[in-house]
Amino acid sequence: MQNTVGKSQVMADHTVTVSRLEEVVSTSDEFDRVVSQALPVLLDRATGYTKRFLRETGQWNDDIEHEKFALRWGSEYLERFLVCGRSEVPCRPLFLFDSLVAKQHSKPEPFCYHPDLLRPLGRFLDGLVARAVVSRDALIALYRHSYGWGAGEVIAVTGLNGLESQRIYKNFRRWRESGWQRTMDEIGLTKTELAELTSQQQRHRQRFNGEAERLIRVAQAHYRKSEPDHYPCLSRAQWREMFTQGYGCDYRIWHLALCLDCMQAAWGLGSSGSLTEEKPRLELLVRP
Amino acid sequence: MGYEEGLEAYRSQLLQSLSSPPSRSVSSMSDPIQVYVNERRVGELEGAGMDARLHVQSLDHIETIQLRTEEGTLLGGLVAPEFGYRTSRIQLSSDVIELCVHNIAQGGSLSAVLVPAPSFWSRMGKILGDVTDKLAIRRPDTALAYSMRTVAFTQVLLAIMVVGLIYDRMATWMNPEGEPSFIGQPVALRTVSMTEMDKLEQQLGDLARMQQKVGETLESQQKGIAQLHQTMAQLSSSHESVASSVVMVKEEMEKRQEGPQTDRSTQRPVSDFVQKEQLEAAIKNLTVDNARLSNELARLEEHNQTLSAKLQTASVNASKAVDQNPERLLASQPDMESKNQSVQVVKSLQSPQTQPFLFWVTFSEGTSQESIDQWVHEKKGHKGVINEGWQEVRIVPPAVPPDLFLEQIRGEKIVKAARIRE
Repeated sequence: MQNTVGKSQVMADHTVTVSRLEEVVSTSDEFDRVVSQALPVLLDRATGYTKRFLRETGQWNDDIEHEKFALRWGSEYLERFLVCGRSEVPCRPLFLFDSLVAKQHSKPEPFCYHPDLLRPLGRFLDGLVARAVVSRDALIALYRHSYGWGAGEVIAVTGLNGLESQRIYKNFRRWRESGWQRTMDEIGLTKTELAELTSQQQRHRQRFNGEAERLIRVAQAHYRKSEPDHYPCLSRAQWREMFTQGYGCDYRIWHLALCLDCMQAAWGLGSSGSLTEEKPRLELLVRP
Repeated sequence: MGYEEGLEAYRSQLLQSLSSPPSRSVSSMSDPIQVYVNERRVGELEGAGMDARLHVQSLDHIETIQLRTEEGTLLGGLVAPEFGYRTSRIQLSSDVIELCVHNIAQGGSLSAVLVPAPSFWSRMGKILGDVTDKLAIRRPDTALAYSMRTVAFTQVLLAIMVVGLIYDRMATWMNPEGEPSFIGQPVALRTVSMTEMDKLEQQLGDLARMQQKVGETLESQQKGIAQLHQTMAQLSSSHESVASSVVMVKEEMEKRQEGPQTDRSTQRPVSDFVQKEQLEAAIKNLTVDNARLSNELARLEEHNQTLSAKLQTASVNASKAVDQNPERLLASQPDMESKNQSVQVVKSLQSPQTQPFLFWVTFSEGTSQESIDQWVHEKKGHKGVINEGWQEVRIVPPAVPPDLFLEQIRGEKIVKAARIRE
């Protein structure tokens, strides 16, 4: 009986929240107030839309991995809505939110979907690369997680100058302090799953790294599209010219972190002989 | 942990991270702010306490702008309009980022300006300025406000100097057994301080004058900026209207270039035009025919008058031939008149009889043209026009009444129907 009353109360609250979201808000402050009171409703709504999109595109399975994937993207959409929706006032928040999600889903590839990227190793790599697109800390940390390099090696490989070098050290520090944990929380990797990954890596190192290389290529190919159009893959000669002339600092940092092939092509150009001759291979590190 | 519990825990975690307002961590306060256009990184704004600007020109329409820290935290953003301008002022702790996005038909542009928080000294100056401004509000003379600010500044300087002097005096008193060279110091200090005070006063006077000038310059600059803003607003509105006009013209051109749909709309005027031309030609033909018929009628009337005149002459000649005696002719003048009258009566009686009798007839199916021609010939008639299967026939007026004549005609083998009117 109590359960029924509780459920009906929840339903009534839900209805009130939705009806409030359907009304016009006139100022940014009002928008913040109304939306912040309706976060669970909006998160469930965005998750529901993402599930429907996956079902309609034949990419859905009834398992926790797919549920988490839908939740993660629902949360992404909601985060963008919270920040960008303020500039759209006066508006009806619910309809604005629906249009924002619909706009995302109308894009050719709204998110990086691959069945293998839903398993713990795939989720780890997908989350890492996705974060690298929006966070410079994560981008620099990608060198660490992919090849096991420290800040000095990253500076040498990418051929950075003194000012940029300081930033790299800072990026490393912040990633260790908070960035990695935040990213793991966002992609929903539990401690057990992380421990299992570490265990797999220790037991079957070669197979683990081979699988990681296959999956990271899928993720990198998708997320590289978020780079500017003028950052395509280059030949070794073109990379050499860039390193020699000293331009394209951003280009080097962003592209080489997100492209295994270009990393091999540009290997040794920025180090002036200080690095070993052997080309780098993926040696995944789970922890920073 | 079960399926549901794991999912619920993840959902709660996400909701918790969404609940906390976006902010920059202390370690990233001086780091550049990453700027994303349409979820692509396009550049960064240096945030190390100085003004920073970023201008982005895009061939595609700008849809969204996002500002993120190096950690990836989404600090602020803007949804761009499909066409035209939109500006936004995003407050990031103490700094402010001003975004201005402009979308046109050919693409979009973004201008981002980071206005850092003022430093401690500039804030102090502002506080002092505010105090003097408050005092100046009572007397709305701007020059007076500046002088009040100068007075306040002078008072602060004097207070600092007095504190310094007291401290110096105290140090001298506390250390009376100092070196001999310090014995005469208080006197010297007093003289030096007096001369320095004079100099300082002079400098303060100069400073006040300079400050006044700076104030005037600032005022004029503010006026200039206001004018510039107005001009920018006008320019943007005109630009927007031009852009919308271009779009309208393009749409119109596209509509015109779109094939069949537009053809239908253009076909109607063309067909109307053709119909009008045909109608005009028909009217022209009718006018010509009417004129021709009028001429024909006039000619026939003239011919009829000639014939009447000839008949009259012939009658007179005939009567002359019958009676050669002029007296008799004269004596019989009344008779002549009566005869003339009788001729006229005869003429009036004969005139309807001389006009052909016209009727319309249709023939039985399968009747050959030869049979028809023969039948018309037998009736001593002439064929006229054919209208909807009815053949017009003109004959010498029959001796019998028309109705009876038509009955007789209808009874004939090849005739299907007959009537008088068309």
